[in-house]
Amino acid sequence: MSSYFEFFCQNLACKSTQNADRILGTCYSMCPEDEVKLREAERLVHVLEVWGSERKLVKSYSRSAADSNMAVPHLLRPYSVLVNTVQYLLLDITRRVDVPESVMYDFVNDRLRAVRQDITIQRLHPTQCVDLLEPMIRFYVYYGYVLSGHPLKDYDPVLNKKYLLECLKWYLSCCDIIAKEEGHIDKLSDFFSSLDLNTRGKTKTKLVNDQVLLESLYILCNPDDLHPLYRYLKMAKDLKGQEKLKLSYEIAIANLQGNYVKVCRLSEKLCPLLYCAISTYLPILQRRALNVMCSAYNNKRLTVPSAALVRWLGFSTDRDASTACSHYGLQVNDNMVRFDKTDFKTDARLHIPVIRNIRKKFEVSLIDIFTYETCK
Amino acid sequence: MSSTGSLNQYIQLIERMYRTSQGNFLARLLSLRDEHVGNRNLRSSDIATLVEGNCVAPLDEIVISHLLCVKSLYMREFMEAFEHQSACVACVVRLLQNQKEVNWGLPVMYTVCLDLRLVAQKAEASCLQSNGKILEKAAESLLACFRVCAADNRSSDADTKRLGMLTLVNQLLKVYFRINKLHLCKPLIRAIDSSPFKDQFPLAQQITYRYFVGRKAMFDSDYRSADDYLSFAFHNCHKQSIKNKRLILTYLVPVKMLLGFMPSIQLLQKYDLMQFWDLVSAVKKGDLRGIDRVMEEHESFFISAGIYLIVEKLKITAYRNLFRKVYLAENSHQIEIASFQAALQLMGHDDVDADETQCIVANLIYDGKIKGYISYQHKKVVVSKQNAFPPLSSLY
Repeated sequence: MSSYFEFFCQNLACKSTQNADRILGTCYSMCPEDEVKLREAERLVHVLEVWGSERKLVKSYSRSAADSNMAVPHLLRPYSVLVNTVQYLLLDITRRVDVPESVMYDFVNDRLRAVRQDITIQRLHPTQCVDLLEPMIRFYVYYGYVLSGHPLKDYDPVLNKKYLLECLKWYLSCCDIIAKEEGHIDKLSDFFSSLDLNTRGKTKTKLVNDQVLLESLYILCNPDDLHPLYRYLKMAKDLKGQEKLKLSYEIAIANLQGNYVKVCRLSEKLCPLLYCAISTYLPILQRRALNVMCSAYNNKRLTVPSAALVRWLGFSTDRDASTACSHYGLQVNDNMVRFDKTDFKTDARLHIPVIRNIRKKFEVSLIDIFTYETCK
Repeated sequence: MSSTGSLNQYIQLIERMYRTSQGNFLARLLSLRDEHVGNRNLRSSDIATLVEGNCVAPLDEIVISHLLCVKSLYMREFMEAFEHQSACVACVVRLLQNQKEVNWGLPVMYTVCLDLRLVAQKAEASCLQSNGKILEKAAESLLACFRVCAADNRSSDADTKRLGMLTLVNQLLKVYFRINKLHLCKPLIRAIDSSPFKDQFPLAQQITYRYFVGRKAMFDSDYRSADDYLSFAFHNCHKQSIKNKRLILTYLVPVKMLLGFMPSIQLLQKYDLMQFWDLVSAVKKGDLRGIDRVMEEHESFFISAGIYLIVEKLKITAYRNLFRKVYLAENSHQIEIASFQAALQLMGHDDVDADETQCIVANLIYDGKIKGYISYQHKKVVVSKQNAFPPLSSLY
């Protein structure tokens, strides 16, 4: 990482030569010839790369090693191919129903990593990075919630979070560079012109770039982190005033003040992906809230009905709430929870409540999730 | 040092200071903030060839990069100046590394390092694209110095270069706070806190150090230690350094408020921090609308100081004060949730309902700010007969 940074600094010093030594990929298919041959021969073709009698291979991720030279043009895909690849992975592969979702997630995640590697090696311009990263982030957010109940062997939430943050931070720093280059060009007008483009190409579903959504995601994916909030506070006025961002900020502040009721109430107003982001966080919020309630409602005789917990903490059913309470060691009788400070198990594993069907809740298709825009 | 004289005289002076181990004088001769910088004779077109061969070995490189940096600064080529100053620091690092068992060279290091940071800030401002990268690079040079100092554990206590650690750490902290990379501070803080010279460092440096560490503790929501660090800085800061004291108070006041100590109007007036006064009275009264108004009015001040979110947290204190008033007014140990709810609505939370009110009370009980429990069935809060609202200052 630091050597990359030095390289970057050198380029700062001699900007004129920056374009000259940039590697440009010349691989015009989703997978380089060499890799296709190797993988066919070694029987390393993934089931998701087989479409009936046809095979559609996508470059897989491989770690950079000291003896391998990755910066070879014919192994790298240029920007246009990368766009097609991401689009293919997110809009076509995700529709396959013949494999479990977790297998599909693993496959797409691996291929997306390869895309990111190609971006890094070719050092694509921030405007191009942004286009490629945005849909990836949607992917990680959506599946981060959908798969959150899966056992660890199928899906690792920590790794997902790592990739998500990596992409998000990269995306945001690209946005900052673009904003600086643009200088004082009004971001809003720019935003509208990009909208225009998308309506023209409407015949085919395309991936989009929605900064407001992504800035909001940055806040709601890390509600316990203050950095996204400071970032929000220092934003330009036009961006800061966007309803979606304001709402996300409000939710994060409510969370900061421990106001779980407000967090859950406000999150009902969110769009599908932001809802996914906050729902992924929900189990942590629920555990903390139950702990707080153990002190606040601490009484041997009194109880609180599960129905209240459903209302306050975003559980889907009374039973769901009761299960969570008993999981943390609280006594539940006939859907009445008795809070006792001494009962609460602070060391219990995080209880993941029943995952809601996002697509059904918002009545959107999977393609919509990866392509919807917030300000339309 | 004089701003006249030839290049040769300048070199001779430097050599003499070097031979006689006069660190402070040598430091001035290599500073970018000294009079000699204005000397035209030191800005000839071909410094490198003029100095080379004319000056003893470890010094020549230092002198060349120093003078080249001066020249670039005059031409307002800040990026170039930064490169030269970095080279200068690198040479000084080598010089120090070779000076075993002595530490008279430390003042030179302090000076070139401070200058490096200042030049980096200039370069940063002139180069729009850099986004903190230049300062990050400067930090790497500073770290190289730091390593030399920290590794010097063979010399006697009086001559060890480890005495220079804190000055460098302070420079680094300044850089990291500026580029907003607070997570990088942690190893530095650990290095200082575990140093046997912890209390022997110059007081001024200790104050700077505690000011930054206190700010970091505040961002990490560790208000107890933030209070300790910042209070030390405030009490020991020279009483005429009004500007510094004001800076310290900018953070100490909100931290103290969170811990339940409200500042006096005299203090805030003295240090021109009246932005906090309206906040103090609003928090005392539990006036939520008032807090929002203050936050809106002084938004840019709170945001630029980085304390906006702390002010958000003060609302919890305001809730507590408000509920205490309700409790005193009701004069009962059983208070209806509805009374609290009405109070919240009256004070500006128009859309608050019974559920949210219970949630706010629940958090206060959990934090120990109210002693008692909520009865869901009776929609009441039952508070303790003694000390139902313990003073905030007793909680932490």
